[in-house]
Amino acid sequence: MSVLQLSTASVLQPIARSPGYWSGVVRRVSRDPVAMTALLVIVSLILMAVFASSIAPSDPFKSSMLRRLKPIGTPGFPLGADELGRDMLSRLIYGARLSLLMGLTPVPIAFVIGSALGITAGYTGGLTNTLIMRTIDVFYAFPSVLLAVALSGALGAGLTNALVSITLVFIPPIARVAESVTTQVRSLDYIDAARASGAHAWTIIRVHVLGNVLGPIFVYATGLVSVSMILASGLSFLGLGVRPPEPEWGLMLNTLRTAIYNQPLVAALPGAMIFITSIAFNVLADGLRSAMDVKS
Amino acid sequence: MITTPHHSALDERDRGGPAQSLLSVNGLIKHFPVKSSGFFGRGGVVRAVDGVSFDIRKGETLGVVGESGCGKSTTARLLMHLIKPDQGEIIFDGEMVGIDLPLAEYRRQVQMVFQDSYASLNPRLTIEDSITFGPRIHGMAETAARAKAHDLLARVGLDPSRFAGRYPHELSGGQRQRVNIARALALDPRLLILDEAVSALDKSVEAQVLNLLQDLKADFGLTYIFISHDLNVVRFMVDRVMVMYLGTIAELGDGEAVFAAPSHPYTAALLASMPKMDPSDRTMEAPLTGDPPNPINPPSGCRFHPRCKLAEPACQTIVPPLTASASGTSQAACLVLVPQSGHSHAARVAMPEAHA
Repeated sequence: MSVLQLSTASVLQPIARSPGYWSGVVRRVSRDPVAMTALLVIVSLILMAVFASSIAPSDPFKSSMLRRLKPIGTPGFPLGADELGRDMLSRLIYGARLSLLMGLTPVPIAFVIGSALGITAGYTGGLTNTLIMRTIDVFYAFPSVLLAVALSGALGAGLTNALVSITLVFIPPIARVAESVTTQVRSLDYIDAARASGAHAWTIIRVHVLGNVLGPIFVYATGLVSVSMILASGLSFLGLGVRPPEPEWGLMLNTLRTAIYNQPLVAALPGAMIFITSIAFNVLADGLRSAMDVKS
Repeated sequence: MITTPHHSALDERDRGGPAQSLLSVNGLIKHFPVKSSGFFGRGGVVRAVDGVSFDIRKGETLGVVGESGCGKSTTARLLMHLIKPDQGEIIFDGEMVGIDLPLAEYRRQVQMVFQDSYASLNPRLTIEDSITFGPRIHGMAETAARAKAHDLLARVGLDPSRFAGRYPHELSGGQRQRVNIARALALDPRLLILDEAVSALDKSVEAQVLNLLQDLKADFGLTYIFISHDLNVVRFMVDRVMVMYLGTIAELGDGEAVFAAPSHPYTAALLASMPKMDPSDRTMEAPLTGDPPNPINPPSGCRFHPRCKLAEPACQTIVPPLTASASGTSQAACLVLVPQSGHSHAARVAMPEAHA
């Protein structure tokens, strides 16, 4: 081994770069037709919500006693009319706004807070871990629906409080996933090697832990979007979320439930929207999971 | 231009001169509490490292051998301060670590290479980023750190233009271990702890990496602690050897002397268990029977006495101190070497011949 060869290497040479992990994930997801279909559905739903005012054929708040509970296919009411004679199609389109807002808002917030708690607990271990995780377990002991209802009930009805309570419901499971992944990563030698190089805990978390734990937590959180939508709809259904006459799928499902024997198809439409949306998010989460789960 | 070679004689960080030990360890103790299995059961402690003291001279290679569970790796992690010792002091080149010498500064001078080449590299970082991490957190500019990483990659036999931008999973085990060595060298350490660093490699790659380690040691003026269960490799690599048994030192001495004429019955048994190259030279009797005893409740007196051929009643009560052997080339913790210890062999100091 000669030391002379080093003289050439000390000038930075261009190096062959391998594609990174995330570009590989994106490539694999984009080749998954099922996940791409789900993504297409989600994007269309979001576009529908954004451009609701230009897409909707009529005013979602305009009621008419004469047109109550028209069946699907009535001229002027392609998807029928609800119990107050409002156009179902327009209400479903406008409903996407609040329903998606309630489905999508709590998850990122809970993702940030839950990950922070879980990663701290998992990396630190010991007493900090016990304190954080046992506190979280107290919340985790309640069924999520019950907890959301109880929190919303305590905070009072309303959109913001519903969002807050759903966020609080999601923090414990996300923190748990974050804690368990972090504990696994924490035990690997590259963390010890980083500690041995004298790096501070925060630097190690930023450089070595986050990149290896955020993926699995993110996949788990994506799966929670559908749960969030269903919970939000549930809260609205119980009168704890969105108030009438605002169009929201969960609330619409509630107000239409008396019509279930007269116009079952019309009454089922908001449920179908919730179903399609949550399935789309679940399928996308599955696609992400398999795209990320490559044993290199 | 050379990547700052540190010949220990020329090293500006050298304080005590060549005669002073690079690292002195005094009475290192680490006991791990064990969770009790039953509801009312009392948890014990695993005496993983139980009073270990030794010195490492500048520029030497100290081998650490022993069966699995004898405390080799725990000792390495204690030296690296990856786990906190319960007791004991570590003195690095005359400075008490944690008191005279801040831990962060100590860690720049002592680095470690782990056994699992894959688990010791972050799978999400390129080789280059893994190597530059250490220098970067110590304030080196990015371009300088990258240049250094490229130098080191070339130095460990990996073409930087091909490997710097790759991810660990694209490399073979031997290549990854070379990267780990480069990563450890990136902080210009003076002491490198090699914890089973070649054990997971296949034989031909192992030989290449061992030769690389020998070259690097000469070029950078390094001191090695070489931990391995492979006695042949240890014999090839080391100047001195430390034999550990159940968290204590059984024998410590000049490598060749220990291999040629072991003073501790455990060392003798360990050496006798080495497979022989010559079939006519093979040992017919079983050198050691049974497993090492449970370190939760280690045997009283000499910890080796339940498995020792020379065990006598005195061995069950008296803890043997490290005593110089007759030849003076090693120290062993055996009552046979202690005059008037109550052991019947204590008068004559001849040991059973090891077929080394």
